[in-house]
Formats: sequence, structure tokens, C-alpha cells
Amino acid sequence: MTVTPSYSLRRRLVWLLTSSVAAIWVLSTLVVYQRAHREADELLDSQLTQVAETLLAIVAGGEVDHFVKELHENARRDPVPITFEVWRTHDGRTERLVTSPGHAELQTGTTLGFSEHPHHGTNWRFYAAQDSEAEYRVVVGQAHASRERLAREVGLSLLRPAALALPLMALTVWWVVGRTLRPVDVVARQVGALDAQALAPLDESDPLPAEIAPLRTALNALVRRVTEAFDNERRFTADAAHELRTPLAALKVQAQVALRTQTAEGRQHALLQVMAGVDRMTHLVEQLLTLARVDPANQTKPPPLDPADIIASVCAESLPQAELQKQSLSVDVAPGCTVVVTAAWLQIALRNLVDNALRYAGEGAHIQVRVAASGAGCSITVADDGPGVAPALRPQLGARFVRGEVEEEGCGLGLSIVSRIAALCHARLELGDGLPRADGGHGFAATLHFSAAPGHA
Amino acid sequence: MRILLVEDDRLLGDGLQAGLTQAGYAVDWLRDGEAAVAALSTESFAAVVLDLGLPKRDGWSVLQWLRGRHDATPVLILTARDQLEDKVRGLDLGADDYVLKPFDLDEIAARLRALVRRAHGRPEPVITVGEIELNPAARTVMRAGQAVELTPREFDLLHLLLQNANRVLTRRALEEQLYTWNDAVDSNALEVHIHHLRRKLGSELIRTVRGVGYTASTAAALP
Repeated sequence: MTVTPSYSLRRRLVWLLTSSVAAIWVLSTLVVYQRAHREADELLDSQLTQVAETLLAIVAGGEVDHFVKELHENARRDPVPITFEVWRTHDGRTERLVTSPGHAELQTGTTLGFSEHPHHGTNWRFYAAQDSEAEYRVVVGQAHASRERLAREVGLSLLRPAALALPLMALTVWWVVGRTLRPVDVVARQVGALDAQALAPLDESDPLPAEIAPLRTALNALVRRVTEAFDNERRFTADAAHELRTPLAALKVQAQVALRTQTAEGRQHALLQVMAGVDRMTHLVEQLLTLARVDPANQTKPPPLDPADIIASVCAESLPQAELQKQSLSVDVAPGCTVVVTAAWLQIALRNLVDNALRYAGEGAHIQVRVAASGAGCSITVADDGPGVAPALRPQLGARFVRGEVEEEGCGLGLSIVSRIAALCHARLELGDGLPRADGGHGFAATLHFSAAPGHA
Repeated sequence: MRILLVEDDRLLGDGLQAGLTQAGYAVDWLRDGEAAVAALSTESFAAVVLDLGLPKRDGWSVLQWLRGRHDATPVLILTARDQLEDKVRGLDLGADDYVLKPFDLDEIAARLRALVRRAHGRPEPVITVGEIELNPAARTVMRAGQAVELTPREFDLLHLLLQNANRVLTRRALEEQLYTWNDAVDSNALEVHIHHLRRKLGSELIRTVRGVGYTASTAAALP
């Protein structure tokens, strides 16, 4: 037997929940990061514009030096320092008035507004503005790297709590799942404690979650079925042992009598009895084996079959015995009737029913095997005009080892075999009145009602 | 000694009847509980061999009925059921012994002897009356230490008389205990057997009580 590797539901839940939550978190953080980036861009751009316009106004007003100093002070604290240059075009000459330290030749181009180009080997963003007379021109710039850093910091500040929360969440999920699955542990422990020798259903009084309760219900149903089958087998073994003891006792006693009898006639009688005992035990053992062979495990889905041939062969087999007992056999088959049953089983069932009739109907009896449509299906009846069985006694007849109250000796298994076959092929065994007798009474009849074959309604 | 055998199995019943007859019992064999009750209510038997699984009325019920009417006839139960509770139930209902199938004929015969002996309140297996010693197991009779040859019927008659020593047994009681329903009983057969016994064992042992029956007396010297 191969064992499928087991996995922990708890670990799986923790892993799935945590990873999906983390994925959602990362995704939303990315979106937020993008937006933060854009916002930062806009903010920095408007800062650039503002600085440029202010610078331009101040330069035009002649108060450059003081402002530049202040700007330098601010630049040191500003996370994204602003670099600038101021140019003056006067009388056709262009001269540089101010520049931030270490950043000469920011831009010589003529484009106004925003532009981006390399400066000192890195990417920069610039903003250029000039006054209405185009005398003063201001260029301010920021390194892209600094702008990026700012955006990244915003993003990271959002991610950092997530990194902390995730393990916390994993722990919480672990705990919650563990708590939720506790009933499973309880059921597992109860099942583990079941004794195979004395199976008992689990206690259904404990409340269980709706998801697990069906498991316990199903398990209990299984336990009941197994117990029933087990009890049935145990009873059968006990019954069989019991049934074997009486013929064994008879054999032993008859053999002892044969050994001690002085007269040839007496010994002959005892030995004949021994032979009869052996025959009876043979019959009993054969019937027991038949019963054991009629096993659902051997069942395959049989096609619908016409019972006429099987009935004919069973009757042919029984004819010599019937003639010996001056009994007559007749068969009455309605055309077009089919039954769904394994051919071999039908043969066993019919053989037992006919055998019972021959055995118990008495000398000179008439036995009829009849096939007729009944309801949506078909029925097979074996009826006789023998002494019959009182209605009160009929229900017991199907039980194992119960014989009718007659002189004839069978082993009491025939109807058990028939009813077992009936149960296995969803047929119904009915015991009732048989053929009318001359004295107004009725014989015995056993009828197998087969339901309609699927697709043959 | 007359035994009632109640067993529904034809082969076993036939064998037991033959075997117990060989062992010296007069055996009447019935095959259902109702018939057993009918027989037990009109006649007396030294012991009953009773099967439990019987048609019409089972062995339990027959046993209960028998004890219910204060009949102390020893009952030996034959059964195929080896469950302890069955055994306990049988003994509690008043069975004297319990034998599981399959069994040995000798065992049944020996157990029956023991049952009958105990029913007469005798712990020892050999019956001694005066100088006569009767051994039921070996079916032998000694007179003053000398073996005496008896026919089976004579032995059974003597056995009955000695078992009930000092009590008067009526002709009818003796015949009932000696013969089964199948035996053709000659009207003066009993007298013939008594005559033979007296010849073999001495005339003092068995006394005729006129108009009543016979008795075996321990005080053989009585007038």
C-alpha cells in the first residue's frame, strides 16, 4: 500500500494566506509608490518653478546677493538641493550673474520651461525662465538621483510597516487556523481510539462545525455498516458450526453403533445411516460454499437476460428426482420478460427454489415455474401444491438454518441463499400461497420480483 | 431402564436409539417438543435425553414445563451450542447434565447411569443388596462374589428392583420402565423373568406382594 504524503492544512493555510496578503500588499505599495513618485515630481517641479520665478523677480529687483546666500543655506537642509544660474543679456551681451557653487555651465540653451539633460555625468531636470524684456534669464536644476531618492523614501516608508505586519499576520493566521481546526484533532483522536474488535460509533452529542460534522456522520454510518456485516459473519460462523455439529454427532454415533452391532442386518442399517449422514454433510457444505460464493465482490453489471433457458436447464436437472418422487414439473414463461441478474446466480437461486419445492411439497406434488410481467419488471415464481407454510412461519424461513416444520431434512440454507442473491440484484423475495390443492388449501410459492432493467422500462 | 430420547435429527436420533439400546436402555424416541411433553405427562422415564433445537416446542420450554410440575426425572441436554450462557441457562432451568455435540456414545451412557444413580440418592456406582452386587456400568451381577449370568431383560428388571429396594413396585410401573412402545409385551413375561431371577439369585430376594407387585428386600430373612 502506498501512502500519499500528507501535508499540513495549517501550514498550507498560513503559507497561502500570508503570501497572497503579501502579494496584494506589494502590488498596492507599487501603485502607491508610483503615485508618490508622481506627486513628488509635481511637487519638485512646482518648487523649481517657484524658485526660478522668485529668483528672477529678485534678480530683476537687484537684491541678488542676500537671496543667494539664503538659498545656499536652504540648499544644505533641503533633501533635494536646487542648483541655479542667472544670466543677463544687456546691449547684445550675455553675462552670467550668479551661479551655485561647483555648478558652472548649467545650461546655455535657449529653451524655456522644463528640460532634462545630463550634467556632470548624471541626469538633471532643469527649469528656465526669463523676464518679459528677456534681459534676465534664470535656470534652476535638480539632480534626478536626488528626486528619485525622495520618491523612494516615500515608498519605503509605506512598505516598512507591511514588512513588520506580515510575520505578525502569519503568526495570527497560524493561531487562528490551529484553533479552528481543533475539532478535527478531536475527531481524529476519537477515531484513533476506536477498537477494531468492538467498533462503536463516535459520540454524536458533541457539537461539531458544519464542515466536519458530515465526516463524523459518514464515519458513523460506515461503523454501523461494518459492525452489522461483522455481526452477521460472526453469527453465520456460529450458526454454521452449530449446524455442522449435529450431523457430525449423528455420524459418530452411527459409526459406533455399526462397530458394536453383532448382526449383519443391524450393521448394514447403521452403515447406510453413516452414508446418508455423509451425503447430508456434503449437501450442507456445498450450500455453505455457495452462500459464501454469492458475494457482492464478484458482482459485475450483467446485461438483461431471458430466464427461459436457465429455467429449462434447472428443471431438466431436477427432473430425475421429481420422477423418483412421482412429482411433476411445469414451466410457464411469458414472452419478452427479461431480468437483470448474473446468469450463474439466477441458476443457483432457481435450483434452490425448485430443490425446496421437490423436497418439501411431498410425493405426487406438482411444481410450477412461472415467469410473468409484474409492475414495471418481471417476476419468477416457483409454486407447488404441497402442504404449504403457515403465513406466521414464512418470515422466519429466509433466516439461515431455519427449516420448515416438516419431516424432510434439508440444511435450512436454501432460502437464505435465494434471499441473499435477491438482495444483491435488487430483487424482492416474496413467500406466499402456492398452487391450490384438492382439499381447498394452498401449497407454497416463492416469487422473485425483479425491477425493470434500466433502459428496458 | 427406560429413557426418553427427544431429538429431531433423524440420523442422530436413530443412532442414539440404537446405541443406547445396545448399552442396555429401553429407548423411546420422539422428534418434537409437543410429543415429548405429551409422553412425559402420562408416563415415567428413568431419564430424558433432550435436544434443545426442537420443532413445535424447544428443549428449553420442555425442560421448564417438566420442572414446573415438580417432576424430578433426570434430564441430560444434548446441544450444539457451546456458548457458556446457553450452558448456564440449561443448568439453571433444571437440567442435570449438559453434553455438547458431537459426543461419544459411551459418554452418554455413562452420564445417564450417573444421573439415574444420583436420582436414587446413591453415590456409589455399585448397588449392593444383601449378598447381591449389581454393577450398572459393567452390567454384571455377583451373588456372594460369584458372577451370575442374566439376560438383558432380567438384568434391567433386577436393576429396577434393587434400585428401589424395600419399596413395592407395581406390575405396571415395572413394565413401563422395562419396555418401550415398540416392544411387544407378553402378558406373563414379567412373571417369567421374576421366576428366572429367583432361580438364579435365590427365592428370598424378590418378594411378591399379592395384587400389588414385587419388592426386593434387604432383609431377605423376612417371612
